[in-house]
Amino acid sequence: MKWAKLGKIFDPTKHELPNDCFEFAQSPQTLVFDDFVRIYFSTRKRDPANQKFLSHISFVDMDKNFKNIINISTGTVIELGGLGCFDEHGIFPMNVARDNDKIYAYTCGWNRRVSVSVDTSIGLATSEDNGLTFRKIGDGPILTSSLHEPFLVGDPFVIVINRAYHMWYIYGTKWISCRGAEAQPDRVYKIGHAVSHDNRNWIKDGRQLIRDRLNPDECQALPTVIHHKGKYHMYFCYREATDFRKNSKRAYRIGYASSGDLSNWVRDDDHAGIDVSEDGWDSEMQCYPHVFRCDDRIYLLYNGNEFGRFGFGLAVLEE
Amino acid sequence: MCNWKKLGRVFNPQEIKDIEWMKEFAQAPSVLPFDRFIRVYFSCRPLPDQNGQYVSYSGYVDFNRYNLFEILRVSKNPILTLGGVGTFDEFGTYPVSVIRRGNEVIAYYGGWTRCESVPFNVAIGMAISHDDGETFTKLGDGPLVSYCVDEPFVISGPKIRRFNDRWHLFYIAGKKWILADGKPEPIYKIRVATSNDGLNWERHGKDIIDSKVEENEAQASPDVFYHNGKYHMFFCYRYSANYRGKEKGYRIGYASSCDLKNWVRDDTKAGIDVSEEGWDSEMISYPHVFELDGDIYMFYLGNHVGRSGFGVAKLEGKWI
Repeated sequence: MKWAKLGKIFDPTKHELPNDCFEFAQSPQTLVFDDFVRIYFSTRKRDPANQKFLSHISFVDMDKNFKNIINISTGTVIELGGLGCFDEHGIFPMNVARDNDKIYAYTCGWNRRVSVSVDTSIGLATSEDNGLTFRKIGDGPILTSSLHEPFLVGDPFVIVINRAYHMWYIYGTKWISCRGAEAQPDRVYKIGHAVSHDNRNWIKDGRQLIRDRLNPDECQALPTVIHHKGKYHMYFCYREATDFRKNSKRAYRIGYASSGDLSNWVRDDDHAGIDVSEDGWDSEMQCYPHVFRCDDRIYLLYNGNEFGRFGFGLAVLEE
Repeated sequence: MCNWKKLGRVFNPQEIKDIEWMKEFAQAPSVLPFDRFIRVYFSCRPLPDQNGQYVSYSGYVDFNRYNLFEILRVSKNPILTLGGVGTFDEFGTYPVSVIRRGNEVIAYYGGWTRCESVPFNVAIGMAISHDDGETFTKLGDGPLVSYCVDEPFVISGPKIRRFNDRWHLFYIAGKKWILADGKPEPIYKIRVATSNDGLNWERHGKDIIDSKVEENEAQASPDVFYHNGKYHMFFCYRYSANYRGKEKGYRIGYASSCDLKNWVRDDTKAGIDVSEEGWDSEMISYPHVFELDGDIYMFYLGNHVGRSGFGVAKLEGKWI
């Protein structure tokens, strides 16, 4: 795979966003229409209670050359959860999928904890207005912690294959808290897979899908999968578990794996076909990839430095 | 109605010396009978930390089977460790419900974590003992029964039963957190799930006991007992706010069912209420009914939700 970078296409600080959000356009994910592409992303506001961040979903509509912005969401796309709910403190990211005439959103909801910063679970919402707004099917999650995936279930990505819903997601394996009392514990998470036949009840494979490359504490996030030329191709991002925010050498990079049968995945980052730039907006890190098809071309949306604080960019697959 | 004769308090953790993790509270008693004694699991707490916050452990007390007022042993160590950092049971294992399966004893328990906007969340874990219930090993670091679409938080209060070769897990599911004087208080209702193996659960997805004192009544400890061709559930319920005193605190309710699906609530048949004075004069809660050598007993908690232990009542005369 070889990608040609088209550059940064959206900077949240240059636009007015709903919900008093002001920075971050993280984990861009698309809903493709006939004559434009809606790109959802997670942006942030400050929680008035304690100045911590709250992630909200917004979107930008772009024409199909990805040069012109047609529209930016002006209202709330999806409400955060109520008191004590799994998505009370943020939705990040949100994966939107068409299933015949329905539009579904799979959300990663955040709620703050005391001994660790956060836990996450996966929710489901539907849209009746072409993706302008989404309504959750319930207050609770559709996929969450279980015996061997004890916390941090998130980053859903769903496609329908032969009438089965396939979800790739991440789950936490441990919190590392040995760096002194001052530091917050750091999390480790891996990519998993679950299948559903009704879009409600999911059966987890119960195994780590993608082998580690760096070390056992490698963090793997945001899987995105596309079928192309007889194979399934997965992009994701990975990083070291600690010291990953400011240290570019340990920060997120984009990884790649492929599979012929949806069960066995061969990791092959050397063929990801994209890496950090020499300088500029994606020179320190690359993360939160999203692969999609638009008018017979395959594109890759992703975030760059500072986890997408100043927006996202685009690359196109060169055959 | 039932006619429960109170026999008095049988266990007070505040009288136990030299066990740091068992300073006060003995909550949610659950009985495992042996030939010569009965083992009663319960959840207790060390003294609170400097911020006034508790963790909760579970242990047991063995009573003489023929004299429930004779304590034979108290567990020296908790039967379950608290979970590691970030896990669902990092700050508590409460309550515990046990059942035998062959030579094993299986425990279902509520695991407690601490949250920022609300004080806690709970999910149900599972553990197995191979030494007659002395120690238990968790099946995993995560919960067995966690939150779901229509049960968004506080999945707790497990009571494990086997009826007609099918596993039944009665439990409570959080409905909402309300703010009472600015403080979050959880509202939870009684639910049930069934299983063929005790591992994979089918949740029935509805509140099975009507609410009585108010819409936001909180219900707990759904203790089901089969007798005379009927299923009897004793449970406890409270008001949504200001429930830490006598007026709106926990009372014991009753419902019955012929099919384990449809339950008819009739608290007038519970046959037990708070006492005029003494250890159970303000509230009674967390009932557990069991049969022993032809007699039927109920363990239950008294004031302050079992801060000073639990007592026993004996069924007199005919059942209902």
